[in-house]
Amino acid sequence: MNKPWIWAWLAAALAFSATLGLTSGRGASELAYAALSFGAFAAIVGLGQMLVITLGPGNVDLSIPATMTLAATLALKAMGGNPGTALMGLGIALSVGVAVGVANYALIFLLRLPPIIATLAASLVYQSFAIWSNRGLRIKPPQDLADFSTGRLLGLPNVAWVGLVLACITWVVLERSVWGRWLLASGQNLRAARLAGIPVELVRASTYVTVAVFAAIAGFLLASFSGGAALNMGAEYLLMSIAVVVIGGSSIAGGDSNVPGVWGAALFMFLVVSMLNSYGAGAGVRNVLTGTIIIGIVIAASSRRIRA
Amino acid sequence: MNISRMLLGAAGIAMTAGLAHADAHSGDTSEMRIALSNNYAGNSWRQAMLQTWKESTAQAVADGVVAAADAYTTSENQATEQAAQIQNMILQGYDAIVLNAASPTALNGAVKEACDAGVIVVSFDGIVTEPCAYRIAVDFAQMGREQVEYLATRLADGGNLLEIRGLAGVFVDDEISKGIHEGVDNNDQFEIVGSVHGDWAQDVAQKAVAGILPSLPEVVGVVTQGGDGYGTAQAFEAAGRDTPLIVLGNRQDELQWWAEQRDANGYETLSLSIAPGVASLAFWVAQQVLAGEEVPQDLTVPFLKITQADLDEALASTPEGSVANVSYFLEDAQQVIADAE
Repeated sequence: MNKPWIWAWLAAALAFSATLGLTSGRGASELAYAALSFGAFAAIVGLGQMLVITLGPGNVDLSIPATMTLAATLALKAMGGNPGTALMGLGIALSVGVAVGVANYALIFLLRLPPIIATLAASLVYQSFAIWSNRGLRIKPPQDLADFSTGRLLGLPNVAWVGLVLACITWVVLERSVWGRWLLASGQNLRAARLAGIPVELVRASTYVTVAVFAAIAGFLLASFSGGAALNMGAEYLLMSIAVVVIGGSSIAGGDSNVPGVWGAALFMFLVVSMLNSYGAGAGVRNVLTGTIIIGIVIAASSRRIRA
Repeated sequence: MNISRMLLGAAGIAMTAGLAHADAHSGDTSEMRIALSNNYAGNSWRQAMLQTWKESTAQAVADGVVAAADAYTTSENQATEQAAQIQNMILQGYDAIVLNAASPTALNGAVKEACDAGVIVVSFDGIVTEPCAYRIAVDFAQMGREQVEYLATRLADGGNLLEIRGLAGVFVDDEISKGIHEGVDNNDQFEIVGSVHGDWAQDVAQKAVAGILPSLPEVVGVVTQGGDGYGTAQAFEAAGRDTPLIVLGNRQDELQWWAEQRDANGYETLSLSIAPGVASLAFWVAQQVLAGEEVPQDLTVPFLKITQADLDEALASTPEGSVANVSYFLEDAQQVIADAE
């Protein structure tokens, strides 16, 4: 059985029960609900990052935080808090995502820049656009959009539904479509994939656009959820997006991705911080323990893969 | 102007006392150039700070007080990058550098070079420890203590408190938290039952509070550091808990929420933070030093405090999505200098 994602879910379940152990079971549904709400944002950016990392060594998108900020800032500014503008706002956020993805890939392809450099440099430009467009003012989302993003359906948060639907689409595309096979093949061996007639540059371009669109959706939802776009709203999603991919059991060397693991890892990343906060761990202890636990899970997940 | 008066009142300063010194700037600074070295621009507080700098200094330049007052911000919030920026400013021949530093110690070398080259360095908000620089410091510990003192006046029976901290590892976070814990030690009817890092950001605070709430008993009050009160309130609401007494930090969304709660159910609280306009105070202090005034190395800037009575006025004067602000003028700088002597 080759199921590296099981470790992320196991760790999430452990962190969940450890937190509840403190309250002797009280607050279980509140904690689960909060984990699903906040985990959704990490899961959405994580899915995008997973696709890019699957492209193979050296492929990563470091412009995710800036893309989130820019998409959210422009969308919320255009909506201006007016009711009935939610779809227009979503359209703007998606357009920003596509534009950012195309720009990132253009830098990588035309200038032959390594993706790390290209996306990092471009992210400074996107962040500056966000600053320039609205000078950091937090504009409230329209009430209907705020209600949607903080609301629930069938007991689950709406943002979690969005994250789950995106995860299902990603899984189907990866596992059942030609494009998904092309992506995995490109990630396993770019040269072999090219010689086999796979349009590898098309695959790379579409992957960089997809990650930017996912980041834009996450930014749009997060700003609607938390009452406005802030200039530093994406900051913690840079490392988060990479961490959930690695903890989720996807290969950091590319060519092997894992959709369920991303969601498990996203829940875990929220729950482990909640657990350590609940136990009263200081910031230093919390960071050390979080790091140690992540290393532990990655080792567990990868040694399992080797045995299998 | 009224906010300005409020602020001065908060620090226990009488406005009139400053006027006696108003004609004391003797030296001519009209040929001199002042630069702002700023380490970070990525949040609404810093944006408001830069905006105030621009407005105050444009007026000063137009009035012929100084020849130029240019603002520079580093892109990566790195001490090394800011040190290089300061060295460039020395080479460009600025007469004074107003500095919001990325680190209290890492820039000391560059600051010393500036002093040795005869450049006046005035640090504010993010201050530097180099003795030759001037420091416009905020008594952050006092800010923490005042929050608990206020809660003690409102909640006579005491109870459980939740502490929202700032960015881990930053001096300001340690200081405010220290003040809060001192306050709690002096008021033993309170107990801090939980502490999370909100990074001075509403969305981060909301996430952290949502994660710790299920494990907490009833919370009667929340002590904060600014920029985290609205997110905290949202997390309490989402968890279906009664809204505790949350001390706010002057952000417009916090004030807006406060006004809504007040109209709905008579919610009453206190909001306090540092006005981003402190940059304009630093500008005038630098101008005073250049003018040859006797200025102590260590100055203290008062908080901007908003009470129930001032709420409507503060809300009306704060741009949507920004932070309550006040511009400082020459008289304010002279007052702060006089107080420190």
